[in-house]
Amino acid sequence: MSTATIETTTTHAHEDHGHDHHHDLPWYRKYVFSTDHKVIAKQFLLSSLFFLFIGGAFALFIRWQLAYPGKPIPVIGSILPDSWVTEAGSGIITPEFYTQLLTMHGSIMIFFVIIPFAAGMFGNFCIPLMIGTDDMALPRLNMWSFWLVPPAGLIMMAGFFTDTGYAAAGWTSYPPLSAQTGLAKFTISGQTLWTISIFMVGFSSIMGAVNYVTTVLNKRAKGMKLFDMPLTVWALFITAILVTLGTPVLAAGLAMLFMDNFLHTSFFLPDNLVTSSKYFGGGQPILFQHVFWFYSHPAVYIMILPLMGVVSDVMATFSRKPIYGYKAMVFAIAGIAFLGFIVWGHHMFQSGMNPLLGTTFMLSTIVIAVPSSIKVFNWLGTLWRGNIKFSSAMLNALAFVSMFIIGGLSGVFMASAPVDIYIHDTYFIVAHIHYVLFGGSLFGIFAGIYYWYPKMFGKMLNERWGRLHFTLTFITFNVTFFPMHVLGLGGHMRRIYDPNVYDFLKGLSDVNEVITIGAIALGFAQLILVFNVLYTLKKGKRAPRNPWRANTLEWAAPEHPGHGNFDSDITVYRGPYEYGVEGRKADFWPQWEPGASKTVNHRTVVVEDESRTFGAH
Amino acid sequence: MDRILSYFDMLPWFPENTSTFGGELDSLFAIIYWISVGIFFLTFGIMGYFLVKYRYDRNRRGYNYHGNNVVELTWTVLPTILFAFIGLYSDDIWERTKYSSRLPKADVQVLVMGKQFGWQFLYPGADGQYGRNAYTHRDECRKLITALNPFGIDSTDPNSMDDFTTENQFKVPVNANIVMHGSSQDVLHSFFLPHARVKQDVVPGTWMNIWYNIFKTGKFELACAELCGGGHYSMRAEYEVLSKSAYDAWVDKKVAEAIAARSPQPAVAPQADTATVASLTK
Repeated sequence: MSTATIETTTTHAHEDHGHDHHHDLPWYRKYVFSTDHKVIAKQFLLSSLFFLFIGGAFALFIRWQLAYPGKPIPVIGSILPDSWVTEAGSGIITPEFYTQLLTMHGSIMIFFVIIPFAAGMFGNFCIPLMIGTDDMALPRLNMWSFWLVPPAGLIMMAGFFTDTGYAAAGWTSYPPLSAQTGLAKFTISGQTLWTISIFMVGFSSIMGAVNYVTTVLNKRAKGMKLFDMPLTVWALFITAILVTLGTPVLAAGLAMLFMDNFLHTSFFLPDNLVTSSKYFGGGQPILFQHVFWFYSHPAVYIMILPLMGVVSDVMATFSRKPIYGYKAMVFAIAGIAFLGFIVWGHHMFQSGMNPLLGTTFMLSTIVIAVPSSIKVFNWLGTLWRGNIKFSSAMLNALAFVSMFIIGGLSGVFMASAPVDIYIHDTYFIVAHIHYVLFGGSLFGIFAGIYYWYPKMFGKMLNERWGRLHFTLTFITFNVTFFPMHVLGLGGHMRRIYDPNVYDFLKGLSDVNEVITIGAIALGFAQLILVFNVLYTLKKGKRAPRNPWRANTLEWAAPEHPGHGNFDSDITVYRGPYEYGVEGRKADFWPQWEPGASKTVNHRTVVVEDESRTFGAH
Repeated sequence: MDRILSYFDMLPWFPENTSTFGGELDSLFAIIYWISVGIFFLTFGIMGYFLVKYRYDRNRRGYNYHGNNVVELTWTVLPTILFAFIGLYSDDIWERTKYSSRLPKADVQVLVMGKQFGWQFLYPGADGQYGRNAYTHRDECRKLITALNPFGIDSTDPNSMDDFTTENQFKVPVNANIVMHGSSQDVLHSFFLPHARVKQDVVPGTWMNIWYNIFKTGKFELACAELCGGGHYSMRAEYEVLSKSAYDAWVDKKVAEAIAARSPQPAVAPQADTATVASLTK
């Protein structure tokens, strides 16, 4: 072990300390076009929160229509314009606007909320701090990766002002519907703008991802081996590889779709369609689905793997225990990522692709259940014989694990191709995606926000409001999304404007109403989080350097680190999860404190403990 | 025990099954469902127990233990066996219901064509033979497809004389293998018969195999399950499952109508039956 001395004992504020030359930067380089990874992370946080509320509001419109079809939307309905938005003068949204809302809800939540939160915010904030370096390898590229998002968002939202309104072909935008064969050449429609916008956020993802890979491989602190990295960094690293391999394929698909839509080529359009425009034909609609899902299935993992890492870190810290099976967790993440590339066809069992492929994709998909269950069992193993503190972050992490179990189990149903025949394109799928993406990813994001907020803003979030926010969210989430399984079993198709058209769905209107009430409560519960974030930002308690008594490197940085992050050189001496080591006074042993240990029967035993009293409080 | 289990039983929410393979699909769903309920209680039980038993106590420490490969291997192998079983069992049913090579011999053939926003059907008539159309002669007849002739029927072919079409309703005989070939004239649609557990996307430019065998007579609904535009929700059709004799009588009637409509001017495309659909509610 090296004997490098490390100054880690200071517990006083260091905000003004650090790299003075950065203070020469003009304000717009510090707060707007900043290359500091922490500022970029905060920008991702703000933009994602903003879009979270827009996407959530759209969801409430959808829910209102499903529970009370033909009734005007309260308050807001009266100010919506007539024409294609509402039935003239009634405040009831039109079927056309309904499909636009569901398209925008899906697109915003996936491309502007979950992916920027998961990869953008956590990737930017956690990677440099957790591997003990001053910034990303390519800070300027990093800045660009954020600054493509706001214009992309504006472009997508501008669809509202085109003649036909927002894009309306679902977030999957399958052609020929998304090619809009009825419009003349060179018509800029909401769908055209959607394609451009997603193309741009795709580039934002790629720029972020190549940066993460480079940074993780080249900029780790002295002594940090790959298997000394926290699971958050591992997960983000593997996710970044997914992004670099998958997103260019989506970009290709979107480019072709754009040409079909705007220039009337026919990559995805067969001959002799009954449509007012003239196409040459010869294209294949199913091709788009292959290209789209080749990216968008890995994208599902892009949206959840980083949070699996975050949740692992939060659980280890608040269970005061090492992660059970650290290497198994890493291999499980890698396994899920690899399998993610060979399962895309399970979205297409009923699409008309050759049923022979259905067999292949079903078997590969079912295999994914194995690494997923490895992860769940290891999380349970982490809780075993821990000393569990129910902080807001931990509660959200536990919600992640439990909701991921439900979402994972409902995934087995649709992985089985014959069962999928019936439940495909019903609310069962909607229930599943929300259990994984809201119950999973979003609870993971909340856990991460509660956990890293002190390092991000130098203030502590209010724990009582945090627990209130968690409790309300957890209850209303389940009230909203669990009954959707029931709708799905009843055969309720997704994306329909009015279920009452069908006799076989008439018994389900009560279920729809319960869901809507739950959804409205769920939406309002999120205001507590926003209030908590904004209020504590101004008036919150100052955060100490290591409030959770955690081991990973970000807690070696000052309370509110400036540009350059660390006020001392960092050397790594051990893995990230040495909690409760026998022979040490403190129940944690940070990665940066010198000392030697050995492993006896899967337990760590102190050989030499050179660390000075490390006081967090 | 049965009473307790019945609280967790979500299966009664399914609409009544009416097709031969539907029972198999439902029981496969039930198998996965009860396995899931078991795993749910196992994992949530363990988690709840740990959360209570190992809750924070300032006099205790977390146990520094990094995991054990034997345990890891156990919980890798056991799920693998379980899921491999589910996968192989599912595949057997999948092959029987969807593989083109397992398509049963057709007792009745129908072509179905989706459009924004409705369903059109073409029956081969009394001779059981289609005239030349976009299904039988894709290359020649696809260019005949128009909004009024969605199947691209070549009306000069004598075999097409007794072919007849219906719109937003169709009838099939009970206990017979119905083989449909589906396509679309504009965007993707999905042919969804909830009661018969049938779902198949139809794709413009291609013909999809759809088959089923229904054992119950009555009136049921057909829905579109793939977003196809603003009117997606209203893309509803009705079908009636008739006894063999009632079905034959209906076909004879429709054939007679089709021939009568075409006789004076054989070059004109057949008129679609555009009768509006009454609601099923009595």
